[in-house]
Amino acid sequence: MSEPILSARDVVIKFSLRGQTLTAVRGASLDLYEGESVAIVGESGSGKSVFTKSWIGMLDANGWVDSGSILFEGKDLAKFKTEEEWLTIRGKKIAMVFQDPMTALNPLRTIGSQIQETLELHQGLRGQEAKRRTIEILAQVGISEPEMRYRQYPHEFSGGMRQRVVIAIAIACNPRILICDEPTTSLDVTIQAQILELIRKLQKELKVTLVYITHDLGVVANVADRVAVMYAGEIIEYGTVEEIFYDPRHPYTWALLSSLPQLGIKGQPLYSIRGTPPNLFNEIRGDPFAPRNPQALKIDFVKSPPFFQVSPTHYAKTWLLDPRAPKVEPPEIVKAMRAKYERYAV
Amino acid sequence: MLKYSLRRLLHSLVTLFMVLTLVFLLMRLLPVEGYYGERADKLTPAQKEAILRKMGLLDPWYVQLRNFYLQLLRGDLGVSVIYRANVPVKEILAAKIPYSVAFGLGALVLSLVAGLAMGIHMAQNKGLFWDKFWTWYVVFINAVPGAVYLLFIQLYGTSITGLPMLFDRYNVRSWILPLVSMSLSGIAANAMWLRRFMVDELNKDYIRLARAKGMSSRAIMVKHVLRNAFVPLANYLPASILFTISGSIYVESLYSIPGMGGLLVTAISRQDNPLVQALVLIYSSLGILGLFLGDVLMAILDPRIRLEKQGGAR
Amino acid sequence: MMTAKEKEVIQAIEEQELFTFAQYDPEAAERTGYSDYSYWRSTIRVFLRNKTAVFLLILMTSLVAFTFIQPYLPGQKDPIKIHIDPNTGLQLRNHPPDKEFWFGTNSIGQDLWARLWSGTRTSLLIAIIVGIWEIVFGTFVGAIWGYVRPLEAFLTEAYNVISNIPTTIILMLIAYILRPSFQTMIIAMCATGWLGMARFVRNQIVIIRDREYNLASRCLGTPTGRIIVKNLLPYLVSVMVMRVALSIPGTIGWEVFLTYIGLGLPLNIPSLGNLLNEGRRVMMAPALRYQLFFPAVVLSVITVSFYVLGNAFADASDPRNHF
Repeated sequence: MSEPILSARDVVIKFSLRGQTLTAVRGASLDLYEGESVAIVGESGSGKSVFTKSWIGMLDANGWVDSGSILFEGKDLAKFKTEEEWLTIRGKKIAMVFQDPMTALNPLRTIGSQIQETLELHQGLRGQEAKRRTIEILAQVGISEPEMRYRQYPHEFSGGMRQRVVIAIAIACNPRILICDEPTTSLDVTIQAQILELIRKLQKELKVTLVYITHDLGVVANVADRVAVMYAGEIIEYGTVEEIFYDPRHPYTWALLSSLPQLGIKGQPLYSIRGTPPNLFNEIRGDPFAPRNPQALKIDFVKSPPFFQVSPTHYAKTWLLDPRAPKVEPPEIVKAMRAKYERYAV
Repeated sequence: MLKYSLRRLLHSLVTLFMVLTLVFLLMRLLPVEGYYGERADKLTPAQKEAILRKMGLLDPWYVQLRNFYLQLLRGDLGVSVIYRANVPVKEILAAKIPYSVAFGLGALVLSLVAGLAMGIHMAQNKGLFWDKFWTWYVVFINAVPGAVYLLFIQLYGTSITGLPMLFDRYNVRSWILPLVSMSLSGIAANAMWLRRFMVDELNKDYIRLARAKGMSSRAIMVKHVLRNAFVPLANYLPASILFTISGSIYVESLYSIPGMGGLLVTAISRQDNPLVQALVLIYSSLGILGLFLGDVLMAILDPRIRLEKQGGAR
Repeated sequence: MMTAKEKEVIQAIEEQELFTFAQYDPEAAERTGYSDYSYWRSTIRVFLRNKTAVFLLILMTSLVAFTFIQPYLPGQKDPIKIHIDPNTGLQLRNHPPDKEFWFGTNSIGQDLWARLWSGTRTSLLIAIIVGIWEIVFGTFVGAIWGYVRPLEAFLTEAYNVISNIPTTIILMLIAYILRPSFQTMIIAMCATGWLGMARFVRNQIVIIRDREYNLASRCLGTPTGRIIVKNLLPYLVSVMVMRVALSIPGTIGWEVFLTYIGLGLPLNIPSLGNLLNEGRRVMMAPALRYQLFFPAVVLSVITVSFYVLGNAFADASDPRNHF
């Protein structure tokens, strides 16, 4: 493969909260390649949002990148301190779309002015030219009657339409990387599909590198080429979509897949993972998933596993892949998936 | 927008009607001595009754209430009995109102300009030195009764700067201290609210998007935060007249400004009931007017209210 | 001594042991995300972090305690006794502060030190009575306003009418109608103070009624009583504490104002308002300004302290500040 355009290495992000320090991201690494589409999957609190927010310097005021590096265009973003430095990246090179479109737009300014603002800021467009370009972008994100919509206010738009506007703002200056942080979570299911399709379409048209953050494995297959699974501030498994869906190796990925309603076996109760992710205020020893994993090994409580290579594109961070480990069968649902895949593949 | 304002106006009128009725009922509880005039001690019970009968105060309450509204509609505010015996209240007020309006507007402008500057400065330095510095000013003004610090301003403001202690309409210098005194609480209130509204806006999601767009903090402050914080501020501003009344009453009487506030203090201490009633009516109506203007102003500034009734998608 | 060979063997055995299955404990799984958050503990912790507030809390506690034990201390004078100059047989007027009269005497020869603490006592008493009435009556009206639907429109309209009349005017009118006295002062201030509390309680109840987390809680079968105890009460109690703290500077302020316009307490009851007014009368003579300074300083310290304390507590009790 070619050189990555962004390379995050062993990123540790901490927050100071209630007088204590919380480690939200505990040494996550990820490479992004030009034009690809990567999904980061995890429960809420797994650190997936925080991890990507650190790439554009949007951590909350009480958070900081403690160690690690984020290389982008020859600069280490983890070393950025001042707002001036971030203004060369944020919105211009790396853009972000957030979860809740209902509150993401300034209610007192027209849709047009809020998109135009970005164009004026990064592309130096002015006046009529900026307006013309704004209307083009509105049309590009699938908003009909863009001239009329240009003058309207956010409250005159539905949730799905607003998310289109937010996406319009993000793509307005042709960023190299587009991060979508659960962009469809708060939308109706039918609208979700439309927004997903729009993101996919724009990614192809603009050849932008897409990072799609979600807690919903179900949408991942529609949008991503590669998947990274995050748990308790670590990336615990990554690979191509096929590898993650049909040949997962980490017990947490198994658990995630088993709890997908779409994959459930009729007549059997839907699987659910017991417990909650660990309290990030505490120091975590060994594999953070171990306490919730019925098949955990003793070593999982003692020592953190390294990444084991499954294929050149597929890695998983679990002791089960160690040659000394006993053989553990994946759950029925995962095996059924693999069988189905192999039938079609062969 | 027009429809909204009309509806709001109608509501204000209903409130005004109820407030006036309430004030009227309270007025019937006023000590009757306040109607006899200077010679109260020398009057026989029969003479006293004659006075009350002549003023219609012995009629059944519903007749009194009707007469009260008929008088108001005619613009008749009654006749002063002690302050300036037998002079129509309207005439007395006509001489006083210009001073109160001049000082009121002057203080409003001053407290707006200084208060907004202070509020912006605080929000920009949130949690830092200047925020804390101005917060102490706001705390002091809000906590300590005006009667205390205004007195010291008069005492030392005049001895240190040599400004006159009493108001003289022809001496511009004598306007300075009362104007500043009247503005102090308004400055504190405006600064505190603007800071709070700006901080509220700063925590909203759209600020995060604006940041993600790559806007500088300064641009976000001006183009988003300040602009949006103005809406609740505009709503609250006219109503703030309500809270500055006690200050103006105090300052007017301290500096002997011949305005309505000083008049109210005099009317109460000298028990001139018709005068008290007229002033209470005026002050209460001012309060309602303030709240009404606040809502209309907000409707003008906020498109969500402006377009509410024009079929926008909601 | 173990040989290197032996060590290796033991290590290998341990490693093998490490790669066996661990005991799975579902209880431990549930505990993984446990948070030890406690509302009151966090509130107190945030409050204690505010050094100014802690200092003022100590200052005010000792000051309030002092005002109440002061009359029982040795060598204290009667606040309304008029002292006579033994040399002239006349009233000991405007005697400057010295060893005998710590804060001097006023224009008719009363001891200012004794009057100051007596006045502080009176003013604090009024403020506390009004503050308690405010939360009791305010909570009561607010609860009815929020819960009894048929009365909702009526109470909303009543609130609109009363809150539209400037407080100053209501206070003046009531004080004027009832003639100045201790009771009048309390009634006048009780008549207006509860409005804010009532509206707050009403809003909270509407939130309890309609907010999604409470709806969810109810759907799960939580009884209303428990929702009130768990979701409303902690916040309500902290708002009550804050209101009482903030009503103290407010009430003292109104007392001073009413006294100034001649509707205050009778002159024979020392209060901060009365003392300030006495001081104001003699303030043009620089030598007598101590009669204005002492009450002004005590009054300012008390009002500012309670105001800061109330706000500090309000900040501390807001769960959003609990990090």
